[in-house]
Amino acid sequence: MYYLSVLIFILGLPLILSSAFGYKFNRRTFKFTKTGLVAIKTQPPGASVYLDNALLNDKTPLTIAELLPGSYLLKIELEKHYPWSSNVRVEAGEATRLEKIILFSIRSNIRQLNKEKFYTFWVDEEKGLVYYASEDLGIYRSDFEGNNYERIASFSSIDPLPTKFILSPDRKKIVYFNRRNIGITYLDAYSDEPFFTEQFVLNYSPGALLNIFWHSDSYHLILITNHAVEVLEAKPESAPVTLVNLNKKNTTSSYDLRNDTLYFVDAQKAADGNTYDNLYKLELNSRSFALQQLMKIQTHE
Amino acid sequence: MSNYKIKRLLEIIPGLISWGVIVFLVVLSAWQPVICAVAIIVFDFYWIIRTLYLTTLLIMAHRKLFQERNRNWLNDCQVLGAEEKWLKFYHLIIFPVYKEGTDILKASLEAIKNSHYPKEKIIVVVALEERNRSSRENAKILEEKFQNEFFGYLSIFHPEDVPGETPTKGANATFAAKAAKEFLDGKKILYEHVIVSCFDADTCAEKGYFACLTYHFLTTPKPHQASYQPIPVYNNNIWYAPSFARLVELSASFCQLIESMRLEKFVTFSSHSMSFKTLVDINYWPVNMISDDSVIYWKAFLFFKGNYRVVPLYITVSMDVAYSTNFFKTISIQYKQKRRWAWGVENFPFLVKGFLTDKKIPLLVKIRRSYHLLESHVTWAIWAVIIILMPSFPILFGGAFFAQMSAVGYNLPRITGILFNFTLVASLIWILLSRTTLPPRPKDVKWYKNILMVLEWIIVPFIVLILGSTPALDAQTRLMLGKYMVFETTEKKRK
Repeated sequence: MYYLSVLIFILGLPLILSSAFGYKFNRRTFKFTKTGLVAIKTQPPGASVYLDNALLNDKTPLTIAELLPGSYLLKIELEKHYPWSSNVRVEAGEATRLEKIILFSIRSNIRQLNKEKFYTFWVDEEKGLVYYASEDLGIYRSDFEGNNYERIASFSSIDPLPTKFILSPDRKKIVYFNRRNIGITYLDAYSDEPFFTEQFVLNYSPGALLNIFWHSDSYHLILITNHAVEVLEAKPESAPVTLVNLNKKNTTSSYDLRNDTLYFVDAQKAADGNTYDNLYKLELNSRSFALQQLMKIQTHE
Repeated sequence: MSNYKIKRLLEIIPGLISWGVIVFLVVLSAWQPVICAVAIIVFDFYWIIRTLYLTTLLIMAHRKLFQERNRNWLNDCQVLGAEEKWLKFYHLIIFPVYKEGTDILKASLEAIKNSHYPKEKIIVVVALEERNRSSRENAKILEEKFQNEFFGYLSIFHPEDVPGETPTKGANATFAAKAAKEFLDGKKILYEHVIVSCFDADTCAEKGYFACLTYHFLTTPKPHQASYQPIPVYNNNIWYAPSFARLVELSASFCQLIESMRLEKFVTFSSHSMSFKTLVDINYWPVNMISDDSVIYWKAFLFFKGNYRVVPLYITVSMDVAYSTNFFKTISIQYKQKRRWAWGVENFPFLVKGFLTDKKIPLLVKIRRSYHLLESHVTWAIWAVIIILMPSFPILFGGAFFAQMSAVGYNLPRITGILFNFTLVASLIWILLSRTTLPPRPKDVKWYKNILMVLEWIIVPFIVLILGSTPALDAQTRLMLGKYMVFETTEKKRK
C-alpha cells in the first residue's frame, strides 16, 4: 500500500503540475505542449459559447483550458439578449480572463415613470427617489419604479424656466436657478427654520449665475458666477458675500459636500506676462476658509 | 560543545524548521509566486495521497479491531499452555492522579474490578499528589470501596518539591512505581512476572484488556523488550461533549489506530503497558518531562540499543473527551491538551542526544527514527497552514500578472480546491468509521444528536487550523525559545 501510494504520487504529480501550468499532452506526438486558457463569466450567466464557430458543451461561467496559443473567434449567445463576440488572443501559460461581459437584453426593459408632463428631473440615489419639475410649476416625486408618484411642492415662475434643481443635503428644500434668479422651495408644508416661507425668489443682479451648490448645513448656498465665488444665505432678501473674485469668465467648479470644499478653476497672470489656468481649493467648513492653490495646470519656471 | 548547548541546539531545530517553512513560503509567494504555487500544489498532492494511504491503514486497523472485539482473551491465554504459565503474571496498574475527582477514578477502578482477569493477580496503585489538599480524603473514599477487591491496593502520596523533579505525571508515576516495587519485594514477586500499566485517571479498560495484554505478552518474542499499546477511545462522555471537542478526540483515536499499522513509527501514547522489569531497568518514567508516555518508549529504545518496539493491542481503553462549561473554555482546554501532546517534540532532543552518546545502534536506524520523529512534529505544525491558508498567498502577494494573467495563478485555487475536496472522500470514510466505535446513545441524549454527529464534520477545516497546527507551532516555539511548559492536567467533565 505504501509503495502504491508512492507510485501514485510520482505518476500523478507531473500530470497535476503540467495541468496547473497549462501543458497539454499530445497523444499523437507524445509531447507536452504549453497551452493557455480563457475564463469567461457573463451577466446573466448560462450563455452558449462558440469557439471558432464550434458550440461548446458548457454554458457560462466556464473556463476553456488547454487552448493552443493563437487567436480564436469567441461568440457568446443567450436567448433574447444581444450576442457578444470578439477575437481573443491566447498566450501559452497565460489566462485570458473575460469576466466582465454583460449581455444586454434585446427587448429592453423600458418603462415610463412620470405620470404628468415635466421638463426636467433629478435623482436622489441615496433615498431611491426621482424628482420631476413640470411646466405647471409643480415638483413631483416617485420611487425608482415610478410608484408613489405625487406632487410634493410648487416652485415660482422665473424666466427663463430653471434648468437645474438641487436638493439640499437635509432634503427639505430645493434650489433652482437661471442666470439671474435663484428660487428656493420647501418640500415640507411646515418647517421649523426661522425664515420659513414655502417658496421665494432672489434676484441676482451683479452678474450671471453659472452654478450653485448647497453647503452641508443646508442653509448656505455657494454661488459660482461669471466674476466671483459668493456665499448666500437661503432666506428671503438675502445678499451674497463675495469670497473670491474671479478672473475667468466661465469657470468650472466642483463641490465636495462631505468636506465642504469648493474646487474651481481661475486664470492667473504669471511673471512672464502670460495668463494660466490654475485649480484652486476653497475650504468652506467651519474650521477653515483658507484659499490655497492645489495644483498649477501650467507652471512657469 | 557542551551538553547544554547540544540540547538547546536540538530543541531549536523543530521550531526553526516549521517556522522556516512557513516564512519561506510567505516570502516566496511574493518573490517567486510561481515556485510557491508549485510547492503548495506538490504539498497538497502529497497530503492527499498521504491521507488516502492513512485512511486505508485506518480501515485495516478498524477491521482488526472489530475482528478481535469479541475474542475471549482469557480462553486464548488458557489455550497457550498450562495455567501456571499465565497465572504467574501479575498486573500492576498505576493511576497517576492530580486534580481528578473520585467520580472519575471510581469508574476507572470499577472497570478493573469488572475485568475478566483474576483479581487476585491485580495490584492497583492510586498515585496521588500531596500538593492536592483533597488527596488524602479522596484516597480514603476509594480505599473504602476498592481496597479488598484486588490482590493489592496501594494509595501512594507523591511529595511536593522532590529535588530533581518537576511537577509532572511521570514524576508521580515513578514515585508510585518505586513504592509498588517495595510492595512486590515484600511479597517476593519477581519483576519479570509483573506487567505494569500506567493509566490516565479516566481510563476505563475493557473487560478483556488484561487477558489480552497477558496473551500478547506471552506470545511476543522478547516480551520485556516491548511496550503494549491499546487503542484509546474517548467514549466515557462522548455523547455529552461539544462537537469540535468530540471530533478532535476522535481524530486522536484514529491517529492511534493508523499508527498501530505502522509499527516502525509506533510509539507509546497516553495509557500503555510494559514489563515491570524493563521499567525498573530503565529507571522508570522521566521525572522532569511532560511527555512521559512517549519518552518511556525512547528510554527503553535506547536502553535496548534499538531492539525495543510497541506491540499494538486491538482492544480499546476508554477515556474522557476534554471539555468544559462553555465553548471558549472548551476551546482553551482542548488547545492546552493538544499543546501538551505536541510538547512530545521534546522527545526529539532527548532521542538525538541519546543517539549521539550511543555506539551500538546502527546509524541508519538512528537517522530513520530521528527523521520520523522530526518529520511528524514538523508536519503536524505546518500542514494545516499550508493546505488551508497558503493557497491564497501567491494570489494576494504574487502581483497582478500572476493572479490575473498566468495560467498557474488561475489554476492554483482550483487545483488546491479539487485536491482539498479529495479529503472529503477520506472524511466520509472517517465519518462512517467514527459511527462504529460509538457507545450506545444514552437515554437522556436526543435522537437528533446522531445527525449532528455526522454534520459536525463540516467544521473540520476550522478545527485542524485552530486545534491542529496552532498548538503544535506553539509548543515548538516554546521549546525553541527555551520557555519550557509545565504540566497541566486536563479538566474532565462527566454528566
